[in-house]
Amino acid sequence: MQEAATAGTALSEPEFAELIDALAADPHRRGQLTELLREDHPLYDQRGTAATVRMRGWILLALARAEVPDAALLFVLEEFDTGTDAYLLAAAACALRSYPSPNAAFAPFVLRAIANIRSFDDPVSFESYGEYALSSTGTSPVRELLATLAWLGPHARGVLPEVEALRTEPGGLAKKLRTDVDRAVEAIRGAGPAPGPGACCVLPAGLGHALSWTLGSRGASEPVEKTVLEDHQGESITFQELFRGHPSIVVFFYTRCDNPLKCSLTVTRLAGVQKLLTARGLDEQIHTAAITYDPAFDLPERLRRYGQNRGVLLNARNRMLRAIEGLDAIRSHFKLGVNFIESLVNRHRIEVYVLDAQGRIAASFERIHWDEQQVVDRAVEVLEAKSEEAAPAVRGKAASSAAGTLASLAVAFFPKCPVCWAAYLSFFGVAGLERIPYSPWLQPVLAAVMLINLASLWLRGRSTGRMSGFYLAGTGALAIIVSKTGPGWENAALWGGALTLAGSLLGALAPSFRRQPCVMSETRS
Amino acid sequence: MAQKKKAAKSSKSARKAKSPAKKSARGGMAVAAGARKPTEERIAALMQVPLAVCEKDEDLQTVLNILRNQDEPIELRLAALQVIQAASFSVVTFEPCRGAYIATLREISDDPDPELRQRVLGTLAREKDGFVQKKLLEGLQNPEKALVSPEKALQLLSYDVHADAYPVAREILSKSPNADARREAIRLLAADANTAPVFEKILRDKGETTEIRQMSAAALNSVRPDKLQEYARAIVLDDSEDDELQATSLTAITQFGDQETVANDEALLAHVGELKNKATAKVKQGARRFLTKYGR
Repeated sequence: MQEAATAGTALSEPEFAELIDALAADPHRRGQLTELLREDHPLYDQRGTAATVRMRGWILLALARAEVPDAALLFVLEEFDTGTDAYLLAAAACALRSYPSPNAAFAPFVLRAIANIRSFDDPVSFESYGEYALSSTGTSPVRELLATLAWLGPHARGVLPEVEALRTEPGGLAKKLRTDVDRAVEAIRGAGPAPGPGACCVLPAGLGHALSWTLGSRGASEPVEKTVLEDHQGESITFQELFRGHPSIVVFFYTRCDNPLKCSLTVTRLAGVQKLLTARGLDEQIHTAAITYDPAFDLPERLRRYGQNRGVLLNARNRMLRAIEGLDAIRSHFKLGVNFIESLVNRHRIEVYVLDAQGRIAASFERIHWDEQQVVDRAVEVLEAKSEEAAPAVRGKAASSAAGTLASLAVAFFPKCPVCWAAYLSFFGVAGLERIPYSPWLQPVLAAVMLINLASLWLRGRSTGRMSGFYLAGTGALAIIVSKTGPGWENAALWGGALTLAGSLLGALAPSFRRQPCVMSETRS
Repeated sequence: MAQKKKAAKSSKSARKAKSPAKKSARGGMAVAAGARKPTEERIAALMQVPLAVCEKDEDLQTVLNILRNQDEPIELRLAALQVIQAASFSVVTFEPCRGAYIATLREISDDPDPELRQRVLGTLAREKDGFVQKKLLEGLQNPEKALVSPEKALQLLSYDVHADAYPVAREILSKSPNADARREAIRLLAADANTAPVFEKILRDKGETTEIRQMSAAALNSVRPDKLQEYARAIVLDDSEDDELQATSLTAITQFGDQETVANDEALLAHVGELKNKATAKVKQGARRFLTKYGR
């Protein structure tokens, strides 16, 4: 069995440092370092927050001495994105420079990290395990981050204006850091291949899968179904009652989290998700939940205040929750990236989940900041997939779409008089059918069906957020109506029919044509 | 052309206007650094330039040198600390100085002067500095290494819920004879749900001081409000209980009790009705508020 997997709390910090050094020195075992960066690793169980920082920092520095593999890159970028600890950020910056090749996608992360830490640029020491700097002549996170920008060189050209702004007053960095900024600017401007267009968003292959993913086979939710949760009003409800029958968006947080870029921002963004769902008329179909990592402290009243202070809508469909009998079942179901000292969190990642109507995890967004729109889109996909499981309903939808289109075409070309009716029939070579009576009442019926088609396209557009189908069909319907207003406009009927057909097709196929955002939405299936 | 001249003239005069201030800041620093000047004069000079301290590296170094130099008079060193602390409130302006400031504070965190040491430790603790938290915890576990008294150490550690001080605070609460340290331990542990049974035990124990029991009641309200209501009811109903504690319990029930449960608790309502007439002024006042809320 691997040392990293078995290492636990029995290991003292000096022993841990020795283990890390040994792993870093051995090319065959170096891969285990990445495994040790997982927050839920037993190694961090019952360690204090400061110890966890020291340990993770030492692993990052070990990776810096060896080489950061793709699997560890995510942990490095996570520090840049949400880290507020000077030592960890400096170590992460150091580690990134050992990645085999610079990549333009790293530059915005580095710049964000500078923005996050520049007001708290405390001196750090990498000399020995657990050492704190007693002099400011050494390094600091901003200094390390600037060195990383210099390492990126021309690959950071996309952020050159922002880097240059770091040396101009006001708002620039400290004078003593100017040399580091100048070095970075010089390296970025230096000779070398500039990254191609769009390179800012392309992280190394495989990394996107780790940021956001969809499970191919969704794990069963039975083990967690009986888990009792208590909501912000003190009402008890089981996991099954809460998450069965509709998709849900679930975030994790705790009120004592002191990193404003993690829990507080996550819950604030949940409020944004709720607004998007309401705007798309999906707030009754997709529920939201925020579950605390710290159920012993986060009593209902604290949950309610925390949510309300961040604009979260709280009701029966949108709840803030705590697991009354402990977090174990929930932790195991979601495989939460968190660890504790007693009941207090010592480290956690950002994690957001989309659950399907059976309470199974359908998608996950981890570590790096997530986008509200993206999470809602994923939940809508889950909702639609749920609808598609009900095949007759889908067939009905397709049939209604086709009928609506046909009705529109029929209205467009409906003959105005019995003579025209006979002419149409003979034109289509069905002269033998002249006995079919001319029925003027059919026209309003067809017009009504056309309007129903338009209404259905509008509803579908609202739920998917893509109204282009409705607009096209609407324009088509208008053209058809215009064609009926008098002589000279008959040709508009042709355009109307074509637009209606195109709009109906677009409306029906909208989800398949959805734009795939940069990296974060790559899925693994 | 005339406008340009005017602008040049006004900028010249602005420069002129600025220079006396800068000159006085520079002069102030020179006086503060002058070891042969009287201490009062040096302190006065330092106090004139708190916000300018970060503008020039030499000025910052002057102040930090005074702060770390044990041969300087302690009043002057304390003034230097005050000056640089005042400058640090302006987070953005202070950005360039922060590294040197934090490093210097860490360096002098074990200074022989107790007042300076305590203030330095307090400043670093408010920054949630890992270095100082480690030192404070070491001092609590090993009194020979202690930089401040246990109660002060606990107070400083309580600035950060993630300072890992719960186990040592629990030990002090259950074993230490030092009342001040126990009081600080309760304050620190008031956010720790795992200590709720200890708070219950203290609250039940009539041998504990009233202050410690009151603090335990407040801590219990923070982590197990349901339990506090149980104990508060029992204390109110117990005529042999301490008056202060009865008053605290009445307030807890009035402010945080479940209205429906309390309104239907005839025994409690009747007993509070009696307290209104019999008990001490504090209890009477609490009883009146309670009865006003519950319509009696």
